[in-house]
Amino acid sequence: MNILILEDEMRIARRLARMTKQYFEYQPAHIELCDALPKGLAYVEKNPVHLLLLDLNLNGEDGFTLLQTMVSHSFHTIIVSAHTDKAITAFAYGVLDFVPKPFDEARLFKAFDRLRATTPAAVPEQTLQHLAIRANGAVKLVPLAQVQRIQGAGNYSELRLFNGHTELHDKSMDALEQLLPADAFVRIHRSYIIRWQDADQLLIEAGGRYAIRMKNGEVLPVGRSRYKNLRARLG
Amino acid sequence: MFLLALVSCNPDIRYAADEAVTHTSANHQFHAQVRVHLQEKMFTTPLGLQIHSFGAFEVYWDNCRIGQNGIPARPGHPEVPGTENSYYQIPDSLSGIGTHVVDIKGTQTWLKEAGRQVAAKPESYLKLLRQPLLELSFVNLMAGAFLIAGIYYAFLYFNSHTKASTTFLFALICLLFFLLLAAEYIKFYIDIPYTHFYTRLTMVGWLTFATAVLTPFYFAVHYRLPHMPLFTATLIMALLAIYGINYGHYDLTAYLHSITLWFASVLVLLYALLHRQKGALLVLCGFGLSMVVTRYVFFDFGLYISFTIILLCILYLQTLSARQLEQAHQSSQLLSARLQLELVKKNIQPHFLRNTLTSLMDWVEESPAEGVRFIKALSAEFDILMEMSDETLVPIQREIDLCKQHIAVMQYRKEVTYVWTEQDIDPNELIPPAILLTLVENGITHSIPVNNQIHFLLRFRRTATGKEYILETSGENRVRERTGGNGFRYVRARLEENYGNRWQFTAAPFSGGWRNTIYLYK
Repeated sequence: MNILILEDEMRIARRLARMTKQYFEYQPAHIELCDALPKGLAYVEKNPVHLLLLDLNLNGEDGFTLLQTMVSHSFHTIIVSAHTDKAITAFAYGVLDFVPKPFDEARLFKAFDRLRATTPAAVPEQTLQHLAIRANGAVKLVPLAQVQRIQGAGNYSELRLFNGHTELHDKSMDALEQLLPADAFVRIHRSYIIRWQDADQLLIEAGGRYAIRMKNGEVLPVGRSRYKNLRARLG
Repeated sequence: MFLLALVSCNPDIRYAADEAVTHTSANHQFHAQVRVHLQEKMFTTPLGLQIHSFGAFEVYWDNCRIGQNGIPARPGHPEVPGTENSYYQIPDSLSGIGTHVVDIKGTQTWLKEAGRQVAAKPESYLKLLRQPLLELSFVNLMAGAFLIAGIYYAFLYFNSHTKASTTFLFALICLLFFLLLAAEYIKFYIDIPYTHFYTRLTMVGWLTFATAVLTPFYFAVHYRLPHMPLFTATLIMALLAIYGINYGHYDLTAYLHSITLWFASVLVLLYALLHRQKGALLVLCGFGLSMVVTRYVFFDFGLYISFTIILLCILYLQTLSARQLEQAHQSSQLLSARLQLELVKKNIQPHFLRNTLTSLMDWVEESPAEGVRFIKALSAEFDILMEMSDETLVPIQREIDLCKQHIAVMQYRKEVTYVWTEQDIDPNELIPPAILLTLVENGITHSIPVNNQIHFLLRFRRTATGKEYILETSGENRVRERTGGNGFRYVRARLEENYGNRWQFTAAPFSGGWRNTIYLYK
């Protein structure tokens, strides 16, 4: 586990590092401290990062562009910021959690807990609005409303859009599942996340395999372990 | 309007007058004869006669002596000059319809070279006496208004801090206009011997000249016309040329000067209109109206009515700029209030507090004694800030204390060593509050520590033209260009609030870090 802390105030950075170390006590975790953006970006490019703790306003910069860049990566981002008014925006761009300063151990641990949770405990107004995608060195925002479903593609995810296009996202299916609003998107299979409102009927196919028929007639596979939940949800 | 109607009532007499036949002889004697053909009389009151002539003379109507003007010279007795204009009553028995002979016999010792014609005009005697009263009532109204306006604006100018030159100009124009009216109409109040007839006309001429210079000049100043000296010089040259060419033609010169005034002003106003200046269109309309009045109102004082319209236009501009001043004052007060608020907000900004509290939490958890010192440093900074919050200028030492206190707080947060040094500080100097603090904040945010240290060096020096504060932050700059967001805006606004435009602020990188220079002109 490789954790990057981007924070320009050394006292706070050390506090974060100390608490992080404590949380991941039983996990081999490397913690890297960076106090400036260029260093942080360079580290992200060269090293595999699993989790980012990010202060939005590094050295007086407006962290908006930075946020877009960071959320387009495969790792989860947890914002630790004094600018609590940015929380809604941060969630809209797909951060795992927003920890307002001043924070204590309990609050930070709660954010770490969400790494393990299978479904995000999203507060209704703090939901993901855009998915940031990196293409040719630039970051592009795809409004979530345009996403029809998501399919696994190795370590990446493929966003299938309503307009027929597909986009590749650096985050894994697991990571995206944690970020997506649970009431609208449902993981039906290791490799499929669908829009729940587009689901039509659960099917049991020959050989005891499960599937789901979508309203547009498509039939998608359903994971054995997920069948029960889906049936309960369909009612 | 009512007065105008009274003054402009129809003539109530029809007559024709031949040109005067004048004989002069030795000893300045002269005899002028005018034949007057009375055609119609629409009044029953006595007939009167108005004579325009130089000299001292007796007047005969159909060989009946009806009066005299001055005392003609006699051997051993010099002439007592009469007035240029005189009135006589004609006996009813001699005022019938038909041809009458007016004989004017007397002497003219002075001003013979003027070659002035003799003129005789019959008119209702009552009307001859009443006409000046009617005219004066109107003229006095204008003159009084402008006298008061002139005095008012002069007081306003001398008692105001801003000393707007337009206010003074307007006061001057008003007073000049008052004097012009007084000079023009003083003839109705006092008997001016014909020997001084041209004295009055000369005064009127120069007053018109001054008005013709100052009025366009006023507009030029008000609308900040470029090439002002050139414009003014050209205007004065033109007026002088008119004076020179028409020397001795007093009425024509005054008329041409008024026309010059009109055209010069309209030129300036057109320039103003082109640049979409406030009030230009309205004043132009006023000038249009004044031209119409001069063209179509054929009275002695038609010219003065149009002057009055022009002055009313200027008055309007004056009130416009008074309103602008008022607005400027309001917005400067608003700016002060905003800056005061910004200062108070400086350390209670949520993000400042939240970051500080986060560090504080950590200090309390890790090292409570240090945490207490941190709290004390923070509260000391708050104390100084609160103490300053109502001021627009504070002693420099207080500002330095504030910077040091802020540095102490930030040291706890950033765990960077900040070093403060000052050179040649004059403790008697004052500076707007929290501007050095703002520059220190910028330095902390935008500098990368070298050996985990950032140095601040504040220097003061006096020059021939003013004084200078230089604040250097030594460290590596995170960015080469700082557009300077709210911080620099605050610094500039504070400097402007206190020093108007007599300051300069520069902020630029240098080899060792960042240099801020505040220059205050004497």
